[in-house]
Amino acid sequence: MSPGEDKSATRGRWSSRSIGAAWQHRFFYGLIRLGGRRVAYAMLALVVLYYVLLRPDQRRKSQFYLRRRFPEARGFGLLSHSYRMSLALGKSLIDRAVVGILGPGSTRVSLSGREELLALLAEGKGLILVTAHAGSWQTTMAALDFLQQPVSLLMQREAGDIDRHYFEHGGRACPFRVIDPRGYLGGALEMLEVLKRGEILSVMGDRLLGSDRNAVAVDFLGAPVRFPFSAYKLASATGAPIGVLLSAKTGTDSYELRLARVIRVPAALKRGSGAFAPYVRQFAETLEDYTQKHPYQFFNFYDMWETEPAASALSDPPDNKE
Amino acid sequence: MSTKEKLKQMLVEELNLEDLSPEEIEDDAPLFGEGLGLDSLDAVELVVLIQKHFGVEIKDMEEGRPALQSVNTLVSFIEAKRAA
Repeated sequence: MSPGEDKSATRGRWSSRSIGAAWQHRFFYGLIRLGGRRVAYAMLALVVLYYVLLRPDQRRKSQFYLRRRFPEARGFGLLSHSYRMSLALGKSLIDRAVVGILGPGSTRVSLSGREELLALLAEGKGLILVTAHAGSWQTTMAALDFLQQPVSLLMQREAGDIDRHYFEHGGRACPFRVIDPRGYLGGALEMLEVLKRGEILSVMGDRLLGSDRNAVAVDFLGAPVRFPFSAYKLASATGAPIGVLLSAKTGTDSYELRLARVIRVPAALKRGSGAFAPYVRQFAETLEDYTQKHPYQFFNFYDMWETEPAASALSDPPDNKE
Repeated sequence: MSTKEKLKQMLVEELNLEDLSPEEIEDDAPLFGEGLGLDSLDAVELVVLIQKHFGVEIKDMEEGRPALQSVNTLVSFIEAKRAA
């Protein structure tokens, strides 16, 4: 790598593309239509077994996280964790399809933090929801209808991504506006527009989209991970509150959506990632708590810890102007 | 102080462009990427600062994209908005 080269270009990064073929997806959609969720789950259990036992390349992807979450696990124990995590991911994808194919009534969603969310939105500065690849955000988002504000979602969809979103199954219009981070200025102006209108902006806080310059390293499960700080910068610039919203599967046909934390970012923070590290760290702590409660529902199948953090980003105190 | 001078001073001071003085900022140099070196998140701050210092709102992408090209385009935008 040349000295000036962006490390993000060469680092092994996540992909949103499914490992299954299009016909395999259609097969599961057919199972859901014919036999419902439980039949699809039964087939999924066999498919996951195949991947975990006979596809070491796929098994390895789950182990970056699992070795951090279960540092004592070895051999069969690690294999078991890998199976349970992969099964949980498969179930969340099936549940997403179930909501699309059989309708929202097929899945119960309980919401924790309803009044707080209403109060945050009533501040009139917009609301930033920072979520993560955990549980099933899409399955549970209907529970946010009571907020009665449009939701814009920062989302990167890769070419060749064959996963269908729940609304696509039913041929319905997309219920949220998608902002593509590959657009002009990374979608920053569009995100700002959303907040200026007092609406809801949802971003994933656990994966970096775009340049490494928009990330800061904080500890997560015992070692530094580079998380994006765009949401915290937007909050600082606009005064919008941040709600960390995480979902979890709680039963065969039930989910919980929880406002896990509210993060307030002061105005006029300095440029540079170090200023935002304390707020990103709050998010990482919240995510750690989540992985303690729901160890198999955190879905990042790549090496998040493959990072070379700047020492200053890890140890500097908040770097405020005032 | 002219709008251009005030804008350049604001860029240096508020966006902490520590290596630059207002006089060194070229009127037609791109604000983002090559040029002034601002990034996408600086755009967020810039839009907020323009409203704060000049009382001019960049409402959407349609307005923002041409306005945020250089100091000259930004000055033209601010002055046109103020005259309207």
